[in-house]
Amino acid sequence: MAEDYLKTEEMVVNMGPNHPSTHGVARLILHLDGEVIHEIEPVIGYLHRAIEKVVENRTYAQCIPMMDRFEYVTAMMADWSFALAAERLSDIEIPERAEYLRVIMGELNRMASHLLCVGVTALDLGALTPFLYTFREREDILDLFEMTCGQRLTYNYIWVGGVAKDIPPEFTPKCREFLDKIDAKVDDYERVLTKNPIWLARNKDVGMIPEKMVYDYGVTGPSARASGINFDVRRNDPYSIYDRFDFKVPVYHGCDCYDRYMMRIQEIRQSARIVRQALENLPEGPVRAKVSRTFKPKEGEVYSRIESARGEMGVHLISDGSPKPFRVRLRGSSYSHLCAIPEICRGLKIADLVAIFASLDIILPEIDR
Amino acid sequence: MTKQELTSYIQEKFSGEIQVIENDQKEPYLIIQPKDLHRFCRFIYDDTRLLLTFLMNMSGVDTKERFEVVYNVCSYRYKLRLYFKILIPYDKAEFDTIRDIWPVADWFEREIWELFGVNVNGHPNLKRFLLPDDWDQGYPMRKDWQGRDVITLPER
Repeated sequence: MAEDYLKTEEMVVNMGPNHPSTHGVARLILHLDGEVIHEIEPVIGYLHRAIEKVVENRTYAQCIPMMDRFEYVTAMMADWSFALAAERLSDIEIPERAEYLRVIMGELNRMASHLLCVGVTALDLGALTPFLYTFREREDILDLFEMTCGQRLTYNYIWVGGVAKDIPPEFTPKCREFLDKIDAKVDDYERVLTKNPIWLARNKDVGMIPEKMVYDYGVTGPSARASGINFDVRRNDPYSIYDRFDFKVPVYHGCDCYDRYMMRIQEIRQSARIVRQALENLPEGPVRAKVSRTFKPKEGEVYSRIESARGEMGVHLISDGSPKPFRVRLRGSSYSHLCAIPEICRGLKIADLVAIFASLDIILPEIDR
Repeated sequence: MTKQELTSYIQEKFSGEIQVIENDQKEPYLIIQPKDLHRFCRFIYDDTRLLLTFLMNMSGVDTKERFEVVYNVCSYRYKLRLYFKILIPYDKAEFDTIRDIWPVADWFEREIWELFGVNVNGHPNLKRFLLPDDWDQGYPMRKDWQGRDVITLPER
């Protein structure tokens, strides 16, 4: 009889840490029944650089470059969230021009991150072309950053009290040129992907994150908004000057990978809208408040949060009134998202795991810190 | 609900002992007794006027006098935010898990266990997390930690 000699047992497969579709160095231990995932054990810590400990021995100005390394895909926003936390503990008046420059840089960085996400998701699912398209446009954004602060990845641009330096005169025309073409380019990606049958088959109804799971795991940002959670820190708890801009917060109700992709496409368009308005109203003036080299915030505790490209990014800062932070806890949204992956993937196939991992846009340094 | 309303609502409805920290932030900040922790989390999660269903962040803190664990919860429906913390003495370094309410607390608690050496009661999966598997230099986020390779520079 077949049962006598055919034995099935759970197979344990190691995926990563150097797997092309884990976007960094995540290691997943998969417990499989054939191709069906029973259980996933994420193993993290390969990129642990002890940033939270290191910044305890640095002054606030020296902390900003560390924040770049905390989240290198949206480094502008990581700088911003730390600067915001320090500013909330002091009475620094941020110059108007600096606020506008922060919004411009933050939104350009969000677009760059979403372009990366869309392109890489397509690459992971076997489509090379959209990856090349999105990286072409991402390159333009990185050129703008390079023009402004000399760096393409770790910017060290948003400082406590303002921004590091003013934009060069050629920035504005270049940026406008980019904004003029981005909508048409996004239409191009949509033409390649949105109604592509393979794309639909791989993404539609895959990796469902129902509302309950959003709460359980603290899923935020575009991934939560693709599950019908109409919440955006920029609109619901405006920081900086986001209350002055007219933009929509797109919300989808499909809960699947496809809607998370649509979410990102729409957010690129909305970010372009914000940058256009900001360039329009960009005032003249200084870009940095006077902040001494040994900047000392008030004694106290603060949690600043901003809407980063993949969800809420928070900095929990405790200051004891000295020039160095007493304790910094960095909250990256990928932390919660990776924690949710075992729950999302239970009962799905390995190929779906790749799509889910890419659609949640998990960035490992944010988790390992 | 404003900050004041939220604080008084919780104080009125929750029977345990609650201390309020006064600060100039937009959100209330409370101190909860460690023994009430689980009951308090259940209450804010279930109460129909709060529905604080997101656990955003948990930070461990070593204040040089005691440990603290700061919780940061948020309600998407009512746009509320609440911070609360528990104080943990050095000689009894332990607190209860809340991973049955928020599964994401599993990771936050593991991290606090690993980096601060605070025991988490009822946590089934306290394994090495961020540090290497063969780490033998104690709990690095404690303030009195001294690593083998750490050189302290003289103050300028």
